[in-house]
Amino acid sequence: MIEFSNTPQPLSEPGNASAEDGLVILDGPNGVAITMTADAARKTGDSLISAAEIADRQADNMA
Amino acid sequence: MFTERFLRHRRGVHLEIEERARLETAIGEIKTLPPRTNVVVAGEELSQSILLLEGFMSRYIDDRNGLRQLVAVHVPGDFVDLHAFPLKILDHDVATMTAATVAIVPHSELEAITEDLPALSRKLWFSTLIDAAIHRAWLFRLGRLDAVGRVAHFISETNVRLMSAGLSDGRRFALGLIQSDLAEICGLTNVHINRVLRQLREERLCVFRSSLVEILDPEKLAAVGQFNPAYLYIDLQSAEAPSSCPRPIT
Repeated sequence: MIEFSNTPQPLSEPGNASAEDGLVILDGPNGVAITMTADAARKTGDSLISAAEIADRQADNMA
Repeated sequence: MFTERFLRHRRGVHLEIEERARLETAIGEIKTLPPRTNVVVAGEELSQSILLLEGFMSRYIDDRNGLRQLVAVHVPGDFVDLHAFPLKILDHDVATMTAATVAIVPHSELEAITEDLPALSRKLWFSTLIDAAIHRAWLFRLGRLDAVGRVAHFISETNVRLMSAGLSDGRRFALGLIQSDLAEICGLTNVHINRVLRQLREERLCVFRSSLVEILDPEKLAAVGQFNPAYLYIDLQSAEAPSSCPRPIT
């Protein structure tokens, strides 16, 4: 099996969220480029924080 | 001459006088089409292909909610659906974006060309391979670039394609598209496109206003879009600047 070394990697740079015309635009990280309603952005933010806490615990267990 | 822009200034291919003459005689009809007109519907059997003479056309696929992704934009000189000759049935729709003038070439004529003129057949094949190269660049654009990079890449690409067609002087060209077209090309919302265009203007890279594009810094715009024109197979040295390019609105 060929192992590729240049496949997409987990990103360590955060995305940049900004407000525009009553909507939330998320630029990055990498090729991410989406627009959400404020409510969807808030729920996505909550979900990201929740997942990040779980990921932190998983990383601690693997250490 | 209707085929004047076809394969114009392409690296590694040149239409001989008699080949161009044969292509001219293959044209069955010239049509003028209004903007936003469907000319090919996915799944329908086709017996002709379209050479775009004036205006802009697109290929697109709608998702299950009716939201549109443009998968190709065609400029004058493009043989828009030449691939329909061997395929007969396309997997996508084709429509005009602006008012357009097209030459209709019956597949029976293309069949005769493939039998009688193999060198011309290879040149027709070449043009579909350029389409494929552009598709690869579009995949890269959507898969790897951020919002400003996607728009910068598209504008840089369109500029070079229009230079080849004699419709850009390398810095200014008429682009009869609206912001929602750019949104469907780049997979972004209208509000996102609006923000990106403002950013490009504020950074003095490019101005898109009233369907005219002025590129203020072509090198930097290409760098932002990670654009390398090699895949277009255009001889930029011979793509001379036309005298009739649109002037920017100031």
